[in-house]
This record gives sequence, C-alpha cells and structure tokens, in this order.
Amino acid sequence: MPRSIVLHPSDNVATLIDPAREGESCALQGEASGQVVARQDVAFGHKICIAPIALGAEVLKYGQVIGRATRAIAPGEHAHVHNFDSARARGDL
Amino acid sequence: MAKTFLGYRRDNGAAGVRNWVAVISVMDNCNPATRAISQAVQGTIPVTTLFVRGQFGADLDFALESLAALGRNPNIAGVLLVGLEESSAEEVARRIRPSGKPVDIVHLQPNGTIECVAQGTRKAARLVLQASQQRRLPCPMSDLVIGLECGGSDTTSGLSCNPTIGRMADRLVEAGGTVIISETSEFIGAEHLFAARAVDAAVETAFLAAVRGMEDMAVKRGVNMRDSQPAPDNKKGGLTTVEEKALGAMAKAGSSPLMGTLTYGQPPVRKGLHFMDAPSGAVENLTGFAAAGCQLICFGTGVGNPIGNMVTPTIKICGNVNTLKSMRDNIDFDVSAVFESSARISDLGDQLYDYVADVGSGTRITSEILDIRETAVSRFERSL
Repeated sequence: MPRSIVLHPSDNVATLIDPAREGESCALQGEASGQVVARQDVAFGHKICIAPIALGAEVLKYGQVIGRATRAIAPGEHAHVHNFDSARARGDL
Repeated sequence: MAKTFLGYRRDNGAAGVRNWVAVISVMDNCNPATRAISQAVQGTIPVTTLFVRGQFGADLDFALESLAALGRNPNIAGVLLVGLEESSAEEVARRIRPSGKPVDIVHLQPNGTIECVAQGTRKAARLVLQASQQRRLPCPMSDLVIGLECGGSDTTSGLSCNPTIGRMADRLVEAGGTVIISETSEFIGAEHLFAARAVDAAVETAFLAAVRGMEDMAVKRGVNMRDSQPAPDNKKGGLTTVEEKALGAMAKAGSSPLMGTLTYGQPPVRKGLHFMDAPSGAVENLTGFAAAGCQLICFGTGVGNPIGNMVTPTIKICGNVNTLKSMRDNIDFDVSAVFESSARISDLGDQLYDYVADVGSGTRITSEILDIRETAVSRFERSL
C-alpha cells in the first residue's frame, strides 16, 4: 500500500512517499492515521487531499497555509498546481 | 574531548578546510587567461567572474569587494589576480592583503595573453609551493562557518535532507560554530515562524524587511512568479507553492536563535545562526556564502542539483530514492533511510555532523572530484 505522510494534525493534504494508482488505498502516517483512496494516479512526492477543501479555502501542510484552492478539492484528489495556488507575491492579482 | 577537524590555520586566525591557490579574474575579459593558468598549475582553482568592466559607483565597489572576499576565504592559501590593467587588479589586491596571505598580480596589458599566462603560471607555481608547506592541524568545530542551501528541491527535501541539515546546524551552533541560511525568496510564507527566533528586535526587523523587499519586488513585476518560484523541477517534484517550499527550506536552519542578518557576502561577526539576504539561484547564492567566509556548504537536494562552489566545498545531501539511483554520482550523503527504514532525523543529522568534520579534514566530495564547480557574483545594478 502506498504510504503518505501527514505533518500536522490540522493538515488537509498528505505527501506520498510512494506512487499511488487510481483507486488504490493509501496509508496515512505521521500526525494522522487511516487511509484515503486515490481518485487518480498521484506521483511520488506529490500531495493527496485528505479532507474536503472548498473553493478559496486554505490548503494546510506543516499546520501552515501553503496556498488557496482555485477549485474545490475532494479527499483522494491529487492536490497541486491545477487546483490550488500561492497566496503570496502575486503581482497578477 | 571536544570534537575537532584538521584545518589550515591562517595568519588572521581563521581555519581553512582546503589549501587552494586561487587564480582570480578581476573582470570578465580575464577569464580565458585565468582558466589557462589554473589548468597549467596543479593546486590552483580558477575563480572566474562576469562583468565588472563597465560597472561603476557602489555596484563596482560591490563587485570588487566580492572578488576580494573570495580571495580572503580561509580555504585560500594564496591569490594570483589576473587583471586587464593595473588599477582594478591593485584595488582587489589591496582588499585581500590585510588577511595576511600572499597576493600576486599579472596583467594582460601590455604584453598579451601568452606572456600573461606564462608569467601567471610561474607566479602561481611559486604560490602553490609556498602553500604546500602548510600542514593541517586540529581545529575546534567552532572555527567553522557553514552555508545551508537547498536546490532542485522537492517534497522529500522538507522531510529528509533539510531537517537533517537542521540537526547538523544545531550541533555546530551548540559547539560554538556558525551557520548561514539564505535564499530570501524562499522565506515567503514561512517568515513569521523564522522571525520569531530573532535574538532581538533589530535582527527581526532586518530579516522581515529583506523578505518583504523580495516580495514587493516580485509583486511590482506584475506577474505570478510561480514560473520561477517554485521552479519547474520543484513542481515536478511535488512542490506546489513558494509557501510550501519555504516551510521545507526553513528546516535547514534547525532550531537555534537567529543571531544576525547579513547582506550578500557579508561575513558574520557573531557566532550562531545567521540569515544572508541574497538571490536563491544556487550558483550566485553559494558564491555569496564563499564571500562571507564559509569554509563548507551543506546542500540538500530532492530532484537533484549537482552544482558546487569553487572556493567552498559543497556537500550534496539527498533523501529522494529515485534521485539517489539516477544521479548517484552527484550525491555525497544519503538520507533516504528516513523513508525506507524509519531512521531518525536526529541520528542522520549527527552522522552528517561527523561527515562535515571529515570533509573539513580533507575527505573529498563529488563536486570537487568531478569539478562540478562554478562562481557567479550577484549583480544588482546596470552597467554603463
């Protein structure tokens, strides 16, 4: 089973330390336990959503804000540049 | 007994971990001669530069001072300056001599490249002979100033190599040594956590002003800077935003108090953890560390960035199992055991601390053996 690491109890994403295939259950380790089912293939080192994130809501890792959702992200989804973005140094906003 | 490394004690009291003679270009048009001389003389390193010709005012002063600072680095036993003409070479020499090390000069004018290289080869050979009479002696770890870098980062960096470097940094600071973290843009999103560690209000204010200045500059460009920060390889490695990268990058600084904020290439006067305000690109950032007097650099990488500094040996540390297979020849220290066998960061950091002492004593690393080394002094203004 692919492993993923949760770095803080309040985090809504986990980091995969093995690649995950669509439909595969991923084990949560670290500051959370249980499993999440990958909704698509997620590469080694990429993040998987572990709690629902609404459009515009904060994405949390290390218990800190790492960006805002640019569309709603469901548990098991690959969380990356296609569904959340930086909230800092944004000259384009 | 306190831990030591075997270093070269310099006249000004600093301890070098290498004993190079540096052949330094005073401006870009000298680089071909600098390379030719260095290639002819074993025991030298070529320190090339770009620009200088056409720079003026504070910008020129910064460029010449940075080159002189590379010459003053404790890893350098003696310096041969290669100039186009007398005045600029003499200006750099004047700034190196107070360190007590021998400085010699050759010029391209009026004799031309072949004569300059011939003279330079003789002079560099004499400097190497002189340098080779120095011996390594036990030095306390507190003599070390170590730069903390990451490059080609991915999500494994913040979980493995960076916290391992942080543990090493805490050990060195505990022993009375000094570490410098830099890459200002990579604090955007984590600066509130780091600022809280400042030893006083002045250090905190200077640190926050540096990060704010970087963010303001990025905003003024009117774009989303994510094409560059995180870089394309960072994103491929799973890092999504600069905030996420910053939170992982900061782990390199361990947990000790922030004692000072430095400008590019500025040597720390206190011991302990420092921050240097400088661009994040590895080559120019590492050059800033070398100018600040760092004898070693610990460089964490995820998807893999092989580059090292010419003057300051750059130890490559990696926890990504894929990179450790595909770029094995570029990595010095493997921390993938964090993921593969649940090794403790504290144990790996302690092993890294011992390895730092070994490299400080003369153990060679990949970027030296394979000569994967480069120099680039940052530029902040336009030339004439």
